[in-house]
Amino acid sequence: MSHAPAPGGKAGLRPQDRIATLVIAGLVAAVAIAAIVVAQDFPATTLETDVGPARFPILYSIALLVLCGILAINTLRAPSAPRAETPAAERPSYGAVALGIAGTAACLLAMDYVGYGIATGVYLFGLMTLMGRRNLLMNAVIAAVLTAAIYATFAYALSVPLPMGSLFE
Amino acid sequence: MYELDMLAQGAQTLLNQPFALVLALLGVTLGIIIGALPGLTATMGVAILLPFTFGMDPVSGLLMISGVFFGGVYGGSVTAILLKIPGTPAAAATAMDGFELTKKGQAGIALGTATLSSFLGGTASVLVLIFLAPVLAGFALEFSASESFALAVFGLSIIASISGASVIKGLIAGFLGLLLATVGLDPMGGFPRYTGGYTELFNVPFIPVMIGLFAAAEAFKSLEDPAVRTGMAAALGRIIPPWSTFRRILGTIVRSTGLGVVIGIIPGAGADIAAFVAYNEAKRFSKTPENYGKGELAAVAACESGANGCTGGALLTMLTLGIPGDAVTAVMLGALTLQGLQPGPLLFKDHADLVFTLFAGMLVCYVMMLVVGLASLRFMGRILQMPKSILTPAILALCIVGTFAINNSLFDVGIMLAAGVIGYFMQKWDFPASPVVLALIMGPMAEASFRRALSLSNGSYDFLYTRPITAVLLLVAAFTLLLPLLRRLKSGGGAPPAGQGAVEATK
Repeated sequence: MSHAPAPGGKAGLRPQDRIATLVIAGLVAAVAIAAIVVAQDFPATTLETDVGPARFPILYSIALLVLCGILAINTLRAPSAPRAETPAAERPSYGAVALGIAGTAACLLAMDYVGYGIATGVYLFGLMTLMGRRNLLMNAVIAAVLTAAIYATFAYALSVPLPMGSLFE
Repeated sequence: MYELDMLAQGAQTLLNQPFALVLALLGVTLGIIIGALPGLTATMGVAILLPFTFGMDPVSGLLMISGVFFGGVYGGSVTAILLKIPGTPAAAATAMDGFELTKKGQAGIALGTATLSSFLGGTASVLVLIFLAPVLAGFALEFSASESFALAVFGLSIIASISGASVIKGLIAGFLGLLLATVGLDPMGGFPRYTGGYTELFNVPFIPVMIGLFAAAEAFKSLEDPAVRTGMAAALGRIIPPWSTFRRILGTIVRSTGLGVVIGIIPGAGADIAAFVAYNEAKRFSKTPENYGKGELAAVAACESGANGCTGGALLTMLTLGIPGDAVTAVMLGALTLQGLQPGPLLFKDHADLVFTLFAGMLVCYVMMLVVGLASLRFMGRILQMPKSILTPAILALCIVGTFAINNSLFDVGIMLAAGVIGYFMQKWDFPASPVVLALIMGPMAEASFRRALSLSNGSYDFLYTRPITAVLLLVAAFTLLLPLLRRLKSGGGAPPAGQGAVEATK
């Protein structure tokens, strides 16, 4: 994402962006309210001169509620952008992203059982295939080399132990 | 001049200890590698190597550790610029403009500028340490909890400056980061807040969140574009910036180095704070502040010279007062004690030749850092020649292993993954990630210092306006926060409509 300021004046807002921004504002507001509710159960401080553990979380949450309100109002007041069809070839592949995230989660869960080597090797192989590399043998070789290189760097050079896996301990 | 004579003597002594120079080179090289790897920091590098110094003479051991310190602070910028993986927290500031330069095909110039700026900032800070240590040591003693609180608030006010298109979205990201920073043990009473019973959450999971928001989110974004998936990453291009370009940013380097030295002197404030403050001030004084965030070379120079300028400042407080300036110097304090040296005013009196040999060695360390850094850039630039279909999986694997290496905890990796998913969606709808990182750095310091200051003043809030340094910092913070908003109102646009950046981002 670019931090660059948006050019020009008030450009329009697409319907999906308007909905997404309102949903995000709602979610953040919900987190802030939950934080305030949970903070009510924090114990009062024993020090007379201390504000207690709840004060700062509540202050931050109130600020978030105000900011989400402002964001929601700005979003509702923004003009609509003209409809523009994105060519099929340029549409982002959200399925690949979802699979990538799921694969990362699976690698993390598997690492506890089968250890770093197998989990990471399979993970790298899967991701390279997902990203369009069709030479499966080469993918397997590259995955093995990368896995070994990372292992050598962390486990041997830097003495950082990597998970062995509960199945092999 | 006394210091000059002692420095010359120290250099002479150093030349008679070639083993110390070899260890310094080893330390610098290891430091650069450790700094570049996500999850590993200069602090960890120094801590890992500390036991190896037990059997060494004081100069060799301390020079090796200094080399790791200096190399580690610089090393984080390499992966931050090439891959948007901040190797160290300070490099998170460098990543903002550094990676944008890489996307423009100017990775080489960005890396070269980072290396030169690190060298200049670090060398200048060591020279300040050598010649001005007694004068500046007293400044550290002026800082107590209220000044630390004011410094943290000033650091947080930078959020308005790095928010990009929408200040409101930047502030939301910042306050979310502040709320996240309250997760863990309450700084005064030790009560676990929002931990849900997980002991892993007793400390703010700062580095996993940073790796997730920056590196993993960017990697997930790479998965969505079919053309990007099969293409090459970017070109390295020229490494050394042309003199006309470098001359333009020299003033920024000098100013940022000065800021880094001052911030390094303050106990508890380290290179990460120095980098963000230097970035903010560089943008404030720039004739083209609108270029910041889009790939501005001066921004990279500011962050790196600020971060490395911090090293001399942190060492100054540690050596002259025995008060560590940051986490790394806290570990180095242990190294000094193990060598039988007591930091403080008497160190300069009773062990003057050893101290000045060390100073000479530190200057040599920075020269080594420049040489090793520049020499390795072409090799590191080959990373960009890899197809993204190999680079992106490698980055994700590195994120997983680097995060695991922090605490040997898969829980941390889970936090990194969650932050990566959130960061991906934040990118899609133009919520900046940098304010979250800034808040995670400054939030704990702000709260702990405020509550401590309040206790020290017996519950009175007058410390906010009666202590000069505190009052000045808070005023500057208010100015920094309000200025972008006032500029927008003056230009007649108000805050840009929410989601306007999202329209641009999808084009």
